[in-house]
Amino acid sequence: MTGTIIENLSGRKLAVLVTFLLLCQVTCFLIGGLVAPTPANAQNILATVCKDTTIMKNDTTKWFYNRGKGSCKTVHLGDMHTDLSETDVVFAFQMPVPRDDRILDFSRWQQNLIGVLQLDLKYHSQMEVKPRSTITIDARLAYKNKGDADEDWKLYTRSVEKRHLDCGIEVKTEEYLYNCSAIPLFELGSLHHDFYLLNIRLPVDTPDMNTNIGHIQDLWLTVINQNGGFTKVWLSLKTIFFPCIIAILAWFWNRIHMLQRKPVLLEKMLLSLGIALCFLNMPLEYLTLHFDLPFMLLLGDIKQGVFYAMLFSFWLVFAGEHMLIQDASAQSSLKQYWRHLSAVAMGCISLFIFDMCERGVQLRNPFYSIWVTDLGTNLALTFIILAGISTGVYFLFLCYMVWQVFINISQKRQSLPTMCSVRRLHYEGIIYRFNFLMLATLLCAALTVIGFILGQVAEGQWKWDETIEIEYASAFFTGVYGMWNIYIFALLVLYAPSHKRWPVSENTSDTQNLSEEIEFSPLPSERNSEISSLTSFIRKTTVD
Amino acid sequence: MKLFWKVFCSFILFVQAVTGNWWNLAAPRVPSQAGNTSLETFTTLQKESCHRLEYLVERQKQLCLLSDRVLQVLQTGASQAVEECQHQFRHSRWNCSTVANSTDIFGGVLKFKSRESAFVHALSSAALAHAVARACSRGELNECSCDARVRKRTPRHWQWGGCSEDIRYGEIFSRDFVDAKEDKNTDEGLMNLHNNEAGRRAVRSRMQRVCKCHGMSGSCSVRVCWRRLPQLRLVGDALTTRYEGASHVKVVDRKRGKNIRKLRPIHADMKKPNKTDLVYLEESPDYCEPNDELGILGTRGRTCNRTSAGLDGCRLLCCGRGYQTRVRDHEEKCRCRFVWCCRVHCEICRYKRDHHVCN
Repeated sequence: MTGTIIENLSGRKLAVLVTFLLLCQVTCFLIGGLVAPTPANAQNILATVCKDTTIMKNDTTKWFYNRGKGSCKTVHLGDMHTDLSETDVVFAFQMPVPRDDRILDFSRWQQNLIGVLQLDLKYHSQMEVKPRSTITIDARLAYKNKGDADEDWKLYTRSVEKRHLDCGIEVKTEEYLYNCSAIPLFELGSLHHDFYLLNIRLPVDTPDMNTNIGHIQDLWLTVINQNGGFTKVWLSLKTIFFPCIIAILAWFWNRIHMLQRKPVLLEKMLLSLGIALCFLNMPLEYLTLHFDLPFMLLLGDIKQGVFYAMLFSFWLVFAGEHMLIQDASAQSSLKQYWRHLSAVAMGCISLFIFDMCERGVQLRNPFYSIWVTDLGTNLALTFIILAGISTGVYFLFLCYMVWQVFINISQKRQSLPTMCSVRRLHYEGIIYRFNFLMLATLLCAALTVIGFILGQVAEGQWKWDETIEIEYASAFFTGVYGMWNIYIFALLVLYAPSHKRWPVSENTSDTQNLSEEIEFSPLPSERNSEISSLTSFIRKTTVD
Repeated sequence: MKLFWKVFCSFILFVQAVTGNWWNLAAPRVPSQAGNTSLETFTTLQKESCHRLEYLVERQKQLCLLSDRVLQVLQTGASQAVEECQHQFRHSRWNCSTVANSTDIFGGVLKFKSRESAFVHALSSAALAHAVARACSRGELNECSCDARVRKRTPRHWQWGGCSEDIRYGEIFSRDFVDAKEDKNTDEGLMNLHNNEAGRRAVRSRMQRVCKCHGMSGSCSVRVCWRRLPQLRLVGDALTTRYEGASHVKVVDRKRGKNIRKLRPIHADMKKPNKTDLVYLEESPDYCEPNDELGILGTRGRTCNRTSAGLDGCRLLCCGRGYQTRVRDHEEKCRCRFVWCCRVHCEICRYKRDHHVCN
C-alpha cells in the first residue's frame, strides 16, 4: 500500500520544498518588477492631412505619407476648401514616428500592433454630432522594410469599415471639442515588417454616408505594441519553465508506470494539466522572429483557454475525488463528472466561438470588428454572457463540493478521539496536508484576483523607495505566470505516488508513520487499489 | 573708438533683445519657401531666417536651427498663443490686440509686470509646448526625445521599453526655448519664469487619460493607458481662471547664506502662490484711454454688451464714457449643413440688430 508523496513527506522536507518554491515565486515577481519594462507601449500619432490629386482613387499603389522622399502635399482642414472633395483628403499615419534624430523601426520583438482611432470633433451648433451615428472608414494599411526606397510602400490590407461614434459634450459651446470615445481600428497579430503606413479616407458614396459626423479637426491614431523588453523577459521565463515542467511530467509519469496498477483519475487529470501547462509554456514566439505568424494572438488565447479549462476541471475532480460518496469498489472516471464539467466546457466553447468570430476573422481582415453590426453585437454578447453564466455555475458547483469535503472531514474528525494516538496523529496529518493544499489553491487564486484588482486601482508605477521602482503591471504578469507554474509543479511533485512502503522506514523522522500499515491493512477491499491513502481513509470511515 | 562701437553695438543688440519676444513670430509671416526649392537652398534660407530674428537670444537661435521644421512650429505656437489670448480677452478692456510694425507684437503693453503680462507669458509657453508636442506626434520633428522613463540599468532603446509622451519633450523644449530669455536675477525674469512654468503645467494637468483593454479575448487582463493632448482652448480657459485669481507678489531677498530671491505675496496674510498659480509684480496700467507711448489702444470704438453686468458690459468696458447705439443690418450664416470634408452649405439670414459702441 503506497500513498502520495505529500502524505509521506516529513514536515521538514515539506518546509524546505515550500520555501524553495516561494523563493522561485518571489524571483518571478521581482524579475517582472525590476527587469521588465511595462508590458505594452502606446504611441500617439497625429494625422497628416494629405491632398490626393490623382484621378484614380482606388489605386492601391499610390500611398500618402509625410516623411521621406515623395511625401504628400498637406492641407489644413481648419480652412474651408472649395476645390477639395472628400475623396481628395487622405489622413496619413506613418509609424513609428522618429525620435532622438533617428528613424525608428518596429522590431519583431514587439510582437503585435493594435490601432485605436481618436476623433477630435469640433462642436458647431449648426452641425451637431447626432447620437448613434456611424462613421465609414476606408482604411488602407501598407508596409515597408529597412532598405526599401522611401516610396516603396506595399499594400498589406485594405477594408471599408463602419464604426459607431460615441461622442458627448458637457457644455455646448462653439469651437469646443466633443469628448469621443476611442474607436478600435485594427489588430495585427504579427509585427513582421519595419514600417507601417495607414491611409484613411472618409468616403461619401451614398448621400447619408459620413454625414452626421460633425466637423473633424484632427484624427489621432494610437498604436499599441508589446514592449520588446517585456517579450524578452517573458520568453526567457517560458524558456526556463518549459523544460522544467516537461522534466517533472516525465518523472511523474515514470513514477506512475512503476506501479502495478493503472493510473487513477486524479493522476490522469494531473498529467493532462501538466500537458496543458506545457502547451502554454511552449516558447513559440521565437518563431515570430523569423516567420510572419499573424495567428499568434489567437493561438495565445487558445493556449490560455485550454490551460484554464484544464485547471478548472482539475479542481472539480480534485474536490470530487475526496468527496467519499462514491462506491469504493468502482473506479472513478470522468463520466461521473459530466454535469460539472459541462459548465467548464460550455464556458470555454462559447469563449472560443467568440474569439474565433473576433480574432479569427481578424486574421483575414485586421480591421474587422464584431461590435459594429447589431447582429454581431448580440452574438458576441450572447457568447460572453453564456461564458459568464457557465463560470458562475462552475464556481457554485466547486464551492458546494469543497464545502461537502470539509463537512465530511470534520465528521471524521469527531471520531478521531476514539482512535489510538498513532493513527490519530496520522489522520490529523493527512487532513492537515489536504487543508494545506486547499489553502495553497485558494491563496493562489486570491493572490491573482487581488493582484489584478490592485493593478486596476493603482495604475502607474509603484514606488517603495526613491531608488527602487517596481513596474507593477509586468510584475503582476510574471508573478502570476510563475505562480501557476510553481503551483502545478508542486502538485505534480506532491501528488506523485510515493515509493515508500509503509513498514519500511529508512528515515527516523518518518517513524510515526510506521504503525499505520497495521491500521490500514485490515481493510480488505482496498488492499490492491493503491489509491491515495487520504481517499482510502475517507472511504474506510464511510464503511465504518 | 573701436571699443566704443563694440559697446554701442552690443547695447543696441541688448535693447532689441529686451524689447522683442519670440511671440513676435506670430505677426510677420516669414515668406514661405516654395515647395520646389532644393534642400540645400532651403536649409540656407532656414539659417538666414533664424538669424534674422533679432528678438531671439543666442540659445533660441540655436534651437531654431535644430531643423527646418522648428521655425514653423515656433510660428504655429506663437500665432496660436495670440489667437487664444484674443479669444480669452475678447471681453476685457485690453483685448490682446496686436500691433503691426513694432518691435513688440503687443505694442509694449507687456512691459508692465502686470497680470496681463503674466497671462501672456504663461499662455505662450503653454502654446509652444502644445505645438511642439503636436509636431512630435505628427512626426515632423525628428528631435523629439525618447527619454523612456525606464531605469538607467535597462538599455535606453525604444524597442525595449517604448518612449515617453510627446508632451514631455514639448515641455522640455518650451522650457529650454522660452526660459532662455529670462534672467533669474531680475524681478521681471523671476516672475516670467514662474508664469512660464505655470503655463506648461496647465497643459500637463489637462491631459485626459484613455485606456484600451487587449488581454485574452479582448478582456481587461492586459490594459494600456495613454494620455491625450488637451485642446489649447481648454488650457486657455484654465489659465484665464488662474489669471483672475493671480497673486500679487514681491521679490524677497534672502541674505542668509546664498543669495536666494523668492516671490512672496505682497501681504503676509495672503496665500503663498504655488507652481500653477500666476503671479504679477505690478498693478495693470489703465487700459481705458489710448496711450501711444505704452501702445494701449483704449476702449474707444469697442462693441459692448448692454445687458451684461460683466466686463463686456457697456458700463465697464466703456469706462463710464457712455456708448452709442446703432441699428445695423446683420448678416449671419444660418441653417448650415456640413458636407464632409471641406464644405459648409449655409443660408444667409439677415436681421436688424442693435449695436453698442463705446464713446
